[in-house]
Amino acid sequence: MVGLSIGEKHFIQGGIAQDLRTDGRKRLTYRPIYVETGVIPQANGSARVKLGTTDVIASVKAEIGKPSPLQPDKGKVSIYVDCSPTAAPIFEGRGGEELSAELSVALQICLLGGKSGAGAGINLSSLVVAEGKVCWDLYIDCLVISSDGNLLDALGAAIKAALSNTGIPRVHVAASASGDEQPEVDISDEEYLQFDTSDVPVIVTLTKVGRHSIVDATSEEESQMRSAVSVSVNKRGHICGLSKRGGAGLDPSVILDMISEAKYVSEQLTNKLDSEIAAAEADDDDER
Amino acid sequence: MSHLSIPKKLITKNPLPKITISLSLSLSPILPSPTDATTTHERLSLSFPYLNTKKNQLMDAKSASTYSPNPTRKTKPPIFADPDWSRPDSRGFHHCRPAFFRTGAVNSASGSAYAEFGNTKVIVSVFGPRESKKAMMFSDIGRLNCNVSYTTFATPVRGQGSDHKEHSSMLHKALEGAIILESFPKTTVDVFALVLESGGSDLPVVITCASLALADAGIMMYDLVTSVSVSCLGKNLLIDPILEEESYQDGSLTIACMRSRYEVTQLTITGEWSTPNINEAMQLCLDACSKLGNIMRSCLKETASASQE
Repeated sequence: MVGLSIGEKHFIQGGIAQDLRTDGRKRLTYRPIYVETGVIPQANGSARVKLGTTDVIASVKAEIGKPSPLQPDKGKVSIYVDCSPTAAPIFEGRGGEELSAELSVALQICLLGGKSGAGAGINLSSLVVAEGKVCWDLYIDCLVISSDGNLLDALGAAIKAALSNTGIPRVHVAASASGDEQPEVDISDEEYLQFDTSDVPVIVTLTKVGRHSIVDATSEEESQMRSAVSVSVNKRGHICGLSKRGGAGLDPSVILDMISEAKYVSEQLTNKLDSEIAAAEADDDDER
Repeated sequence: MSHLSIPKKLITKNPLPKITISLSLSLSPILPSPTDATTTHERLSLSFPYLNTKKNQLMDAKSASTYSPNPTRKTKPPIFADPDWSRPDSRGFHHCRPAFFRTGAVNSASGSAYAEFGNTKVIVSVFGPRESKKAMMFSDIGRLNCNVSYTTFATPVRGQGSDHKEHSSMLHKALEGAIILESFPKTTVDVFALVLESGGSDLPVVITCASLALADAGIMMYDLVTSVSVSCLGKNLLIDPILEEESYQDGSLTIACMRSRYEVTQLTITGEWSTPNINEAMQLCLDACSKLGNIMRSCLKETASASQE
């Protein structure tokens, strides 16, 4: 854990109350974002996102699978987060497992939408190759390399960047298969389909320190938090998911205030992230 | 047995006895569209095994080489846009299922509770405060350990049971803000929840039942935690959704709150929501939570007065 003296704690809390944080930011300002795409050649898509000294990698792998009988017209997406003990000693063993599980659940809530697929950042119907028989399974694996607070927002941004970097091979299904037989598929080496990631929401975590909420908290600031609310907002300004961390209860009206703050911040973050991703993609193309 | 019915206007004077409710689930002709005839039949066959043979013969005649009945019960989603659409158990949209609570379900536990909301049946036992495991580091506040598991027969498809990590962590987050952990340093309180039958809104029922079990165990809390969820289906908001409604939902909102302190301890939203919608759903949930709290209090009072006698 972060060891802070009483003086340091007061300094952080006082700074937040006066809208000037220890690193000179305002309450609702993000740290600089750095995006790099195509970092893992074996994956269908990958990205590395740095948010200050928080550093994460997301990779997307696509495999041919079979849709579940309950939802024959949808592909499957699973999100896993791995917190490596190299990032922080507390990630070793159970501590890391718990955090990984919590982050995976929060990302699933924030990115995958409702059961019927409404509000999902990833259009599951587009992953189907032959209804009820063949679909793409997307495995999104994230790795935390260095942790300095606000992991969820960084992971959300990394997944968005990795998806925009993802190319899924075009698949031809042999028409001969009939009835219950599994049809033969021919996976193309040349033709790739690009994902439309404009609908993938961004995640904004508002951390409550004292009476004020801040975005993009560092781990020192997170150690002073009472509770945090992560809101994912899509381009149209709709809420696509929300999860809460931290034990302390919040007044319902405070939560509604935090949601509107998150909406306001998300506009800037979306624009910034989109331009960063576009720049990273251009760089990636140049290198090839 | 106490019955819960949510907004004031919709209180039913004479709630149906439970047996009738479960029957109406399988037999009710309330579903309007003709396609639902098959649905009713399939549900019937699930409730009465001897009908399965007949159905399988029919299936054999068609094509299937498989003998087992198909786990997918429904062929076509109900049409929610239809203004005449009503919920499968004929409740109003803003109407909760009858709630039943009983404390002291497990003898060996420090405290326990059983809750039944329609078909959702949950049992929670609380052990402790007892000494933390040796491997745990010293802590001057108590620890809370939560575990939610499903029985193998809880879900329509068998054997998806065992531990449910997501629910466990959600339960932990919902309860930790309500328990006065300072009151039992160096020790751990274990909360074990078992879902006997999953009939929709499992997590809210588990959270509610767990806080009742904690109260039964005499663990100090700021307030009882009550939890209610709302499903968004098209334009409608349905409170306390059943399994079938949950599988079609466009979005869901689950609140766990301490009503007397007016604090939300846990909130999750999935699916796409606009701000006014969130507002409405939250109000609906908070209203339901306070009514649920009253039922829980009366259950605790009943237990206390019974033990005095």
